[in-house]
Amino acid sequence: MSGEDCDVDRGDNDGQKSDKMFTLKKWNAVAMWSWDVECDTCAICRVQVMDACLRCQGESKKDSYGKQDCVVVWGECNHSFHFCCMSLWVKQNNRCPLCQQEWSIQRMGK
Amino acid sequence: MSALAKTSILTEEGGNQCRKRSLPSSEQCNKRSKTDDMSANEKKSNFSLLNPNNGTIKTNTSSMNKPGAATKKLIIKNFKSKPNLPENYQETTWSKLREAVIAIQTSKAIAYSLEELYQAVENMCSHKMASQLYVNLTNLVEAHVKANIEQFLSESMDRQVFLKRMDDCWRAHCRQMIMIRSIFLYLDRTYVLQNPSIHSIWDMGLDLFRHHIAMNTLVQTRTVDGLLLLIERERGGDAVDISLLKSLLRMLSDLQIYQKAFENKFLQATERLYAAEGQRLMRELAVPQYLAHVEKRLREENERLLHYLDPSTKWQLIHTVERQLLSEHLSGILSKGLETLMDGPRLSDLTTLYNLFSRVKDGLNELCNHFNAYIKKKGRTIVIEPERDKTMVAELLEFKEQLDHIVNTCFQRNDKFLYSMREAFEFFINQRQNKPAELIAKFVDVKLRAGNKEATEEELERLLDKIMVLFRFIHGKDVFEAFYKKDLAKRLLVGKSASVDAEKSMLSKLKQECGGGFTCKLEGMFKDMELSKDINITYKQHLTAMKEGGGLELSVYILTMGFWPTYAPVEVRLPIELTRHQDHFTKFYLAKHSGRKLQWQATLGHCVLRANFTQGNKELQVSLFQALVLLLFNDGDNLSFEEIKTATNIEEGELRRTLQSLACGKARVLTKAPRGREVDDTDHFSFNADFTNKLFRIKINQIQMKETSEEQKATEERVFQDRQYQIDAAIVRVMKMRKALSHNLLISELYNQLKFPVKPADLKKRIESLIDRDYMERDKDNPNQYNYVA
Repeated sequence: MSGEDCDVDRGDNDGQKSDKMFTLKKWNAVAMWSWDVECDTCAICRVQVMDACLRCQGESKKDSYGKQDCVVVWGECNHSFHFCCMSLWVKQNNRCPLCQQEWSIQRMGK
Repeated sequence: MSALAKTSILTEEGGNQCRKRSLPSSEQCNKRSKTDDMSANEKKSNFSLLNPNNGTIKTNTSSMNKPGAATKKLIIKNFKSKPNLPENYQETTWSKLREAVIAIQTSKAIAYSLEELYQAVENMCSHKMASQLYVNLTNLVEAHVKANIEQFLSESMDRQVFLKRMDDCWRAHCRQMIMIRSIFLYLDRTYVLQNPSIHSIWDMGLDLFRHHIAMNTLVQTRTVDGLLLLIERERGGDAVDISLLKSLLRMLSDLQIYQKAFENKFLQATERLYAAEGQRLMRELAVPQYLAHVEKRLREENERLLHYLDPSTKWQLIHTVERQLLSEHLSGILSKGLETLMDGPRLSDLTTLYNLFSRVKDGLNELCNHFNAYIKKKGRTIVIEPERDKTMVAELLEFKEQLDHIVNTCFQRNDKFLYSMREAFEFFINQRQNKPAELIAKFVDVKLRAGNKEATEEELERLLDKIMVLFRFIHGKDVFEAFYKKDLAKRLLVGKSASVDAEKSMLSKLKQECGGGFTCKLEGMFKDMELSKDINITYKQHLTAMKEGGGLELSVYILTMGFWPTYAPVEVRLPIELTRHQDHFTKFYLAKHSGRKLQWQATLGHCVLRANFTQGNKELQVSLFQALVLLLFNDGDNLSFEEIKTATNIEEGELRRTLQSLACGKARVLTKAPRGREVDDTDHFSFNADFTNKLFRIKINQIQMKETSEEQKATEERVFQDRQYQIDAAIVRVMKMRKALSHNLLISELYNQLKFPVKPADLKKRIESLIDRDYMERDKDNPNQYNYVA
């Protein structure tokens, strides 16, 4: 490199990498998160799981970030719903509304 | 009670008559009982008929002087015989009085002392000659008044002279009558008072004057015409004898013919004069001058009322002037002058306008209507033309401020005007759909962006308040939200926001205006930024604990999908080192938050690159795409467009712009062969080792995609998408409630519910779509009827 041996007055502390013309120092990346679900709509309230369920939207006055509390829940059958919707559902019928399997929680979003 | 009093005494003619006023009543009663037996022959004394209010009771003075009244009974006896009057007493006395009256009427010296005359009158009254005396006096006065008329009947006479003479005559008459009345006061006080059908001497004089002079048709017309002429001249600006006017008008009122003889004619003349003047000046004068003139006229007329007109004319006179100068020309004035006044704005003229218009019926309504129309017209020109988009919001703010100022200072904060202004703003701002909302959002963006140092916090706050006022008028608030959100995202991700306080304040204003539902996603964006900060700190701690990292410093903004604008996912080829970091972070994040997945947004990434140039090291602040391209030159000196494209997998258009920014922009760290502004498929690029720049840290700006067209269209598109869902939801809501509804009713209900402008055709489309999806169906019998399908 022609520039490499020239007088460098600052920022020359990375001696071992100076043979490269460009060195990546800092990366401000951006990523979007969403629930890792197969169907993005909650079958119970028909609202996208990324949004708060209808109930939570209605009560949004309590917490403007209501969605943080309206998480997603996955059953063993791998079907996903709003946790709020599902916890009301299982009081009536402890089966997955989509596949009628016995409902047991596989994991919950957080 | 005094009507019963018979006690009386006849005074000697011309003698020392003594008038004792009301004695203590007890004594009086006492006396009355004693003298009860007095014969009725004393009844002739008309004092017994004294008006009780008069309070003058004649009593025997001698009885008063008896000290022994308390112990000794006092008996008063009548005169044995009636006192006799000299022969032809009446004739001589009257001739004396007559002489005196004539002397007064001819302004000559009176031969007798006034006291003597007064007593003569009194004596005559006492001797029952009052009525005759009154008749004589009346005849005397009448003859004089009659004689006076001659001077007014001559054929040609200058009006001025005529009026003067009339005035003189009137003044002389008054003077004489006062004098005469003084002499005949006793007559006035006794005889006249007791006979309600008889005029007092003064009234008799007036009556005669009225009857013989003022009611004479010729005299009256001449007088009134003369007066009108004088007034007209005075209105024309000539100096006239105000006191003459005043005196004659007083005469008319005193004679009680002011209204009948003068007022109507005067008002008619006024009406004629100002009708003509109004017509003429409306043509000749500009509106401000006209208004000033009207004001001047009203002031003058008020002064006229003060100076010589009868106050009873006030309402009618002012009303006439207002009607002829204002009411007749309301819309003329407004359509001719309101615009220029408002444009000025000529505040003092507008104040005058308001004040004048508030005097007449419907004036303010008319003004308000024109004011409204003016705002709509002016506002429309600001809003409607695409060339003015750049300055639209600033102009609107200025316009609003100016109007506020006018309403506050000139229109007395009249609620009607405030309301009308709001209505007009709402009307014209929505004349052009979506664009104003978009521009307001962008205007806010510029103001909230860092580097905007033109305003202090307080000024910014005030500006935001003003913008909120405009925002309130916008129907398509979702358009505003979409653009605002997009710009907010940019500010947050690039760290360009001027102040978190200002952002939060704007957010709370929006929340206040549109409710939490409107802002919850925007608030979520702020929350994401804070959460990301925490995550990056824990990630750094995690890296130190794992003894990893070094070299590249990675920080990630984790955004919640749905809160942020949607960005099209772009797949690019990252260098292995970056992929490693990315995967590492993903693993770390998903371990913390189960059930989630991450989607990396390459378009939004930014990097800091260290670059070695011959002239020294530099730090380049670049986008991820720019970084990816630059990193390629670590391994090859000269790369073709195609090679770069394959290596990075950046979308072609994007890559073209990226290369342009690196090789054709201000900071050219790459050299393009052949040179040129555009990037072609066949171009080759090489590292520009000789790159120099004064600065150590250099930001290479990305060349923006034509934001105004494509990106903006995308945002609009998204808004319309969202609107479709809202329409769907509204239709289903209505149908679920009503079960069955005709098309027209459904449409009208929808218009009530939807907060943004929609075309009926769009609604129809959504209804069709819902029918297809079995949310509702057409009635089998009636195609205009829909039924809800549960």
